[in-house]
Parts: sequence; C-alpha cells; structure tokens
Amino acid sequence: MRGWTDPASGRVSFDEWLELFDHVPDELIERYHYYGNSEAWSKYLFPPQMFAIYGMRHLRRLKFDNSLAALRMWGFVQNETERLFRARQTGRRVIATMGDLGAVPVIVNSFPDCVAFYPDCIWWTPFAMESRVLFDAAAELGIGDATCFSRAALGAFAKHSYFPDPDLVIASTGASCDDYSGVEQLVESFAPDMLWVEEPMRCDLRPSGPLEQLLVKEYERVVERMEKLTGHSVTEEELREGVRRANRVRKLVARLRELAFRDAALAALEMMVVEFGNLHYYSDMDEWTAVIEHLLATAEQRAAGGERVVDADALRVVWVTPPADPLLLTYVEDAGARMVGTEYVINQALEIMDASKPPLEAIAKSFMAASLIGTSKARAQSVTSQAREYGAEGVIISGIFGGSHCAMEGRLIADYVKAELDLPVLEFDVTSPSREISRQIGTRIDAFLEVLRSRR
Amino acid sequence: MKELLTPRERFGLLVIDEPQDRVPVFPLVTAHAARVAGMSVRDYYTDGVAMARSQLVAQEAYGTDFISFFSEVGLVAEALGSQYDYPDDDLPLLATPKWEGLPRLSAEENRGCTQPAADPLRDGRLRVYVEAISYAYEARGDTVPILAYVPAPFTTAQQLVDQEMFLLGLLTEPERVKELLDYTTRSITRFCRAIIGAGGLPILVDPLASGSVISAEHYREFALPSEAEVVRYLHRYDLDVVLHICGDTRATIGMLPETGADLLSIDRIEMDEAIAGAGQACRIIGNYDTSAILLADPQTIEREVAEMVVAGRKCPKGFVAATGCEVPVDTPSENVRAFVSAAREAGLNPDYGRRRRV
Repeated sequence: MRGWTDPASGRVSFDEWLELFDHVPDELIERYHYYGNSEAWSKYLFPPQMFAIYGMRHLRRLKFDNSLAALRMWGFVQNETERLFRARQTGRRVIATMGDLGAVPVIVNSFPDCVAFYPDCIWWTPFAMESRVLFDAAAELGIGDATCFSRAALGAFAKHSYFPDPDLVIASTGASCDDYSGVEQLVESFAPDMLWVEEPMRCDLRPSGPLEQLLVKEYERVVERMEKLTGHSVTEEELREGVRRANRVRKLVARLRELAFRDAALAALEMMVVEFGNLHYYSDMDEWTAVIEHLLATAEQRAAGGERVVDADALRVVWVTPPADPLLLTYVEDAGARMVGTEYVINQALEIMDASKPPLEAIAKSFMAASLIGTSKARAQSVTSQAREYGAEGVIISGIFGGSHCAMEGRLIADYVKAELDLPVLEFDVTSPSREISRQIGTRIDAFLEVLRSRR
Repeated sequence: MKELLTPRERFGLLVIDEPQDRVPVFPLVTAHAARVAGMSVRDYYTDGVAMARSQLVAQEAYGTDFISFFSEVGLVAEALGSQYDYPDDDLPLLATPKWEGLPRLSAEENRGCTQPAADPLRDGRLRVYVEAISYAYEARGDTVPILAYVPAPFTTAQQLVDQEMFLLGLLTEPERVKELLDYTTRSITRFCRAIIGAGGLPILVDPLASGSVISAEHYREFALPSEAEVVRYLHRYDLDVVLHICGDTRATIGMLPETGADLLSIDRIEMDEAIAGAGQACRIIGNYDTSAILLADPQTIEREVAEMVVAGRKCPKGFVAATGCEVPVDTPSENVRAFVSAAREAGLNPDYGRRRRV
C-alpha cells in the first residue's frame, strides 16, 4: 500500500493506534468510501479515537490488530449508524431484519437500492459505550434486566437515533431466542410495516426437506412483501446473484477463520467482527467485501511469512456464544490464550449456500445449519469438531445473563465437550456494561488458563 | 421531564444532517461552572479534577447538551512561554508575552528542531485540560459530548507577542507574522491530538480574529489559513469541527465556511445574516447576547431566547441554541436556567419519531 507499511504484526492499544495513525497518509484516508460515494461523509478510514469521542468509551480498553486492513475494518464497522442514515438520505430503502441472523438479508440485498441491517447487533452498543442508556430505554417499555442484552435493540427503536426508522421490519421467530422474540413483539409498535417469518425447529432425527419447504414459503412471503415495498419484481437471476455475492463473503470469511485459528494471523476481537459481518455486511455489501478482501490479503501475507498476531504457542481455546463484552476477548488473549474456534450462534451465516439450487431453496437449506433452531447437542458437536481440528485445549462458554437459551444449554454443551474430548470448560455469564472485566470473571479466566497450562 | 434523547444522541443526529427531538442547547458555560460548583475560579483553571467536577455539576444543574472546557485564550501561549498572573478568583491575565516584538524564527525553530512545540502533558496548564477532559469523559462521556476550546493560531500568536506589535506586523512584516502563525499551529495541533486522545472534541476559538479586531482582508490573509490548517488536521480524524469567533463577524461570515469548519459559533451578527452567509455549508451555533444573560431578568431572557431559536431553526444545516460568547462568571443561575428552558421549549421538534405504524 503506497505510503504505508504495516508494522510487525501484533495487537496495539488504543493509544498506540493514535501514534500509528499519525503515519497514515492523507491519500489513504481519502481512498476509502462506502456506498461507492465520493462525498466527504462517506469516508471511513478513521482511528478508534474518533469513535471514542462520539461515545464508544470501551474502545479505550481494547487491543486492536495493528494492520491498515484492520483499521479499515474498524472504521467501516463503527461507522454503521451514520451509514444507515446516509442510506436513507441518498434514497435507499432501509430494511430491519431481526432474529434469523443471516438469511433474510440475502433476499433483501437482491433488490436494488435496499439495505438490510440487524438491530440485534445493537446489543454490543451498551458495552461499547459503557452505558445503560439503551437498557433503560428498553426497561421503560417493559423489558428489564432479566432479559437478554439484545433488549438494547428495543431501546434503539424507541429513540430513533441509532438507525433510521426502517421502511420494513422483517422479524423471524419460532425456534429462536425467546427473549428476542419478546423484543420483536414490542418493536412492532415502532415499525411502520412488519412481516413475521417463522423459523422451524430442526429435528436431527428427521429429514429436513419439509422444513426447508416451509422456509422457502416463508421466503416467498419476504420476496412478495419486498416487491410490494419497492415496486420491483425481483428476478430469479437477481436472487441468484444475491446468493453468489453472499457466498463470496462467506468463502472469504471461511478462509479467514482458517488463517486465524490455524496460523494466529488475526486476533479474536477482529475475527468476531468479521464473522458477524456475514449477517448483513454492515449495511454495505460491496464495500464490506472489499474490506474483507483487504483483511484476507493481510492475513495470507502474515501466514506465508510466519507472522503471528498472538503467540502461536498460546493456549488454544474454542469460544462458545459471542461475548457481549468484547473486552473479554482482549482479556483472554492478554492472559495467554488464543482462539482456535468459535460457535457464535450464527452457523447459518457461515454456511456456504448451494448456488446450483433455486435461490430461495439454497438460502433455506443453509439456514437449516442455524445454531439456535436445533438441539444443544448439535451446537456442542460444532464445538468439538473445531476443537479436534485445531487441537483446542479448553472451551470457554460466555453466557448471556437473562438469555433464555443460555440458562441450560451451557451446561449441556460443557458436559458433551468434557465427555467427548476430556477438555476443561469454563462457563460464566457476561455481566452488565462496565469499564472493566468483573473481578470474579477475571479470576475465573485466570484460574482456567492456569489449569490448561498445567495440562500441557 | 425526562427527554427521549441524551445530549450525545442529539448531537450525533445534528452532525449527520438528521432532525433531532429538539434543538441542542449550549449556553457557553465555562468558568461560570466554578460558581455553580462553589469553588474559586483559580481552582477551576489550575486543577483538572476541579475543572471537570465543576463542569459536571453545571451540566447536570442546567441540563445543557454539552460539557465545555475553557478558561482563557492564553492557554497555548502560556505553554509556549508567555507568563500569566493567576488572580485568586478571576481568570488568568497575560503578564509578559514570550516576545516583545515579532520574533525572527529560524527555519529550524519552525520545523521544531530546536524549539519543540508545547507538550500537552508537561507545559503550562495544558495538562490541566487534558486531565479534566479524561475525568469528565469517564464520568459522562456516554451521554454528553465533551468539548474543549482550543485557542486558534491567530489568537494565540497575539498572546505570544505584544498585541500592538503583532497587529502592526500585519501591515509591516506579514511574512514574520505568518512564520509565527506556523509556529503556533504546530503546538495547537499537538494540543488537539492530546484532547482527542482524552476523549474530547476540540473547538477552535479565535476571538482575536473577529471583525472587532481586524479587517476582513487581514482575516483572509492571516487568520483564515491558520484556522483552516487546524480544521484540516481535525478532519483527518473525521471530527465535526466547531469554529467559535466571538465579536463581530459581519464582514467575514461568508468566508468562514472556507475554513472547512462544520459548525460556526457566532456572536455579534444578526441570525438571518449569519444563515445567509454560512448556513448552507455550516450548522450555526449562537448567539444570545452575553451582556443580556448577565444583566437581564429571566422573563426577558426567555422571550429573547425563544425569538432567537425561531430564527436559528431556519438554518438549513442545523442549529444549536447558544450564547454568543462565554456565560460571564457571575451570571445569576436563574438566568442560565431561563435560557435553557426557553431554548428547549422553543426548539422542540413535534415531528421527531413520528414515522410509526399507521
């Protein structure tokens, strides 16, 4: 990259990124824009300090990959609220997709000038801001602390300031998170138009064909509603193209996972952001694809040169359920571990779709791999499969305080992992937003890693 | 009554050209915060924690939409070597400028080889500000934007050199003035960087570049380029830059957008004139008379502020209801409250969030 050379790969603090940013040439800042726009507002290559000034206080505690590609990724992701408002300002339709985590946006993005996003992902915002503002707003609408952190999405709808009021809300429910279904019901009063989509319960003992057919019917309803909204009759070729573009991202991410887990070419924090990009591409699929390609080029180069972001000899851990507090990932890596697998309840978004099938069937079939529509055993098998592949030495399950699916399945997954692989498992619930990891959780992580060390 | 949006959410909408639930309200409460918190003005500007605490108390007491750190325009000049007296209960006063006349800065000095720029963590009271910003950011940074006034190069230069000599130099030694401006700009951007690292949004303040002090021609030749240089630096971070020029800006209002500033904080100019001159490019912040907020009765203030808000809301890029300059230290609290309540009421947007299910 002209005018810039990545330093020796590693993780840097918030303050260190400020130092590094001094060396980023203006030409690079000018180069990257979202929505293929050239206006100043569409630039996004900015350091964490900018987002911290606008309230993202937690960034000051995290450690970041020191590559330009990672800086670009963070700038792009952190910019999403503004991007969604700019989408509306520039005539795009903004569609909130909720609950299914990965499938419906493939359809929405097949329509011209439509942008899909997941309000679900707002659940990180209270942690990023170290703030209860969105939780308090949700509480005033009837959902309090006994519910999953995803209730922040309700607060965001109520405030109308975290994303533009969507043209349409497509809410998936059924074999899904109970808490979030409750959130979705309350969101309905803020939605100008809402479509409910049923997610079937997967039964691993029965053929999935009828369930896929049910989903195809549901997706046909999505297509129909989108056509009504946009006045555009979507063609099969447009939907196929939508599947191809989504697959492109999923394949890039699959390769990134491999490089991160096998070669320690990327750290856990960046990888979590990358994996969740498969849900809705942070509201600009084309630019997100370019961001991921940039990141992959960096990771490939590191792997080829034997460069690591975290110590390759660090303790190898699989992480189950995404931590609402990203500082946990920084903490664990600082303490001497690295991620060699993840089960972030978004398997459906990682699955490559069969592009030879009719598009809605391909989307439906890939959704049958969804983490939350099946049994806990199926999730556990995904964990053990990754643990075997990359030689994991332990498993960490971060539960969501109040998250209904977490209450029991953590124990079931832990028991399965112990029985199958004889690996130590640490399970804890993530606590409320704070500037630091709770002492108790910190101590438990330290002790857990000490156990793993002693088993070497 | 509890409001729907926090000040940070409201400001966030303003700077991306989105309507807000109401106009943001920003009486420029700076050293007046010391009075609200019951501490001496000297403690306010010499102790970062005291400065932060007083601002936090004032923001909560008045319900304003920003926390703003400032004491006086000599801040950077002091760090560079000018000397100030610290009265017990008043703002610092310039005692001895660093130079009597315009200095002959060598090329090395201007490049910082032999004369390093001010160090925000060491020199003068810059660290007081950085400490205050950090403290306030940790306390309330999730809900309230933390602003920090930074004296602009043109104003700072007039604190480094005898002011008459400086102004004379605009006519007789313009190149040396420009060298001095380059020299100050280096320290100012360094200070801005420290503010950014601490979580504050720098506001560029250039009162000695107003039409009350210099001509429009001199503004264009000397002040504007150095303001633009700092704005360019801040835009590297994608920050929304406020340029505050108190005093008379009637002759320069049309030039101010050329600095690149995103928001203009104005003082002695009619609101309609300000909007006509800069409102297509910049959000306008202003501009209630600070003499009035000090001396008028609350009813008068309420009436006049409401009129100002009605006029300001015509700005196509957005508007912040503010005072034209700092709220005087001894302003009665009921007057500031009258300002805030009137601005809130007149600035309400009844259509906010109305796009609901039908």
